[in-house]
Amino acid sequence: MGSSNTGGGGVKEEGAMDGAKNNSPTGSDSPNDGDTFSEGEKVFAYHGPLIYEAKVQKVEFRDNEWRYFVHYLGWNKNWDEWVGSDRLLKFTEENIRKQQALEKNQLSDKTAKSGRSTQYKPKSSNDAKVDKEDMKNLAAKGKKRKSHPGTEEKDRRLPEKLLISQFPLALKKQLVDDWEFVTQLGKLVKLPRSPNVDDILKKYLEYRTKKDGMIAESVAEILKGLRCYFDKALPVMLLYKKERQQYREAVRDNASPSTVYGAEHLLRLFVKLPELLAYVNMEEEALNKLQQKLFDFLKFLQKNQNSFFLSTYDGSKVTDELDIK
Amino acid sequence: MAKEEREAVGEEEQEGLSVHSPAQAPPSSASSLPKEQTQVELELRLLEALEVYPPAKLQGIHRHFVLYGLMEHLRRNFERHFSADEVLQLLDRFFNLEMLKPDDEEAEIFNQEDDFTLPQSFFVKEE
Repeated sequence: MGSSNTGGGGVKEEGAMDGAKNNSPTGSDSPNDGDTFSEGEKVFAYHGPLIYEAKVQKVEFRDNEWRYFVHYLGWNKNWDEWVGSDRLLKFTEENIRKQQALEKNQLSDKTAKSGRSTQYKPKSSNDAKVDKEDMKNLAAKGKKRKSHPGTEEKDRRLPEKLLISQFPLALKKQLVDDWEFVTQLGKLVKLPRSPNVDDILKKYLEYRTKKDGMIAESVAEILKGLRCYFDKALPVMLLYKKERQQYREAVRDNASPSTVYGAEHLLRLFVKLPELLAYVNMEEEALNKLQQKLFDFLKFLQKNQNSFFLSTYDGSKVTDELDIK
Repeated sequence: MAKEEREAVGEEEQEGLSVHSPAQAPPSSASSLPKEQTQVELELRLLEALEVYPPAKLQGIHRHFVLYGLMEHLRRNFERHFSADEVLQLLDRFFNLEMLKPDDEEAEIFNQEDDFTLPQSFFVKEE
């Protein structure tokens, strides 16, 4: 617990970063001299010895202190919990470095001891348990999952994170280039794309069918699922701010985004996929199988990187008026 | 007169039943299964799987992955391939899927508009 205070001091001046609005409901009589956090704010949260990217979903003032209901990004909702501000850190560059440092220590610790532990998120402090109780009383969340046989503590580690660690390096780089084009250079993917997402999914199914010598039913279902996620997720979580205006112009009359956008944005979906799949609460075996299949799809994207992805983005029409650099 | 009335009631009860329970043997898909016992087994396994994959989720945004989970569950237990249609047909005997309401909770992740951010881990260079 005490360790969490170490990062709290140096971050105040960076509070403006990443949408951290300082209009949190704290008055001057804050019970805690640490930072305060607002609803919707992206933060780092301590869970055991490590800190995780998280999002504040609710804020309440209880028992003379601020309590925050956090969701750990990329983790199953079963991990959501109420914490005090001493468990939270602002989402700043400094704390990103802190997170990496902690992770590194943890890794070397583990390999030194007994190889890999499967318990990625060990429960530590007593007060995390109290929080869990509070949460049950306050919000009847996750009630439908009570019956899930896999919700025992030890089964709740989530292999979904694996997907990200499995990302082929070339595609990671593709995503960084994509980030640079859009957010740093103010360029956009010219729309509509060809091949679009639908074309790519179809090509993959053909490729798979040819390779396996039969229609891969389960693959077809996964591809349908990806398309469904893509259409739904594109406007709400797959666009950089600077792309919003373009979206409004390019996707009209109920067109599905999967007919307009291409590999560049499809790849971003894979970054978000662990978060989305957490809602399905899949059995571990099925999830592992699914991961393999998704990985195979990523490899397919990589193999066709030159024909699926743009090598340069369109610089002519950045419509975000904030971008006069 | 009285007899007719009873019959009418009986019919209504049956109608109500068919929505929620496995009523009688299925019309078509039974022929593809070798034994009666397999059929029972199949239904049991399916119901077991529904504990993990609530049927209401089949109506929502996660539908395809829930279906995939069910296909995998059956495939694992019976060591044979199950198609999506086959699973849906089986389910249809227990549930009127169209009547199921999608889970609101599961859609909530799509309700809040958020800019895309690339996780820091992607920027790390290979060491």
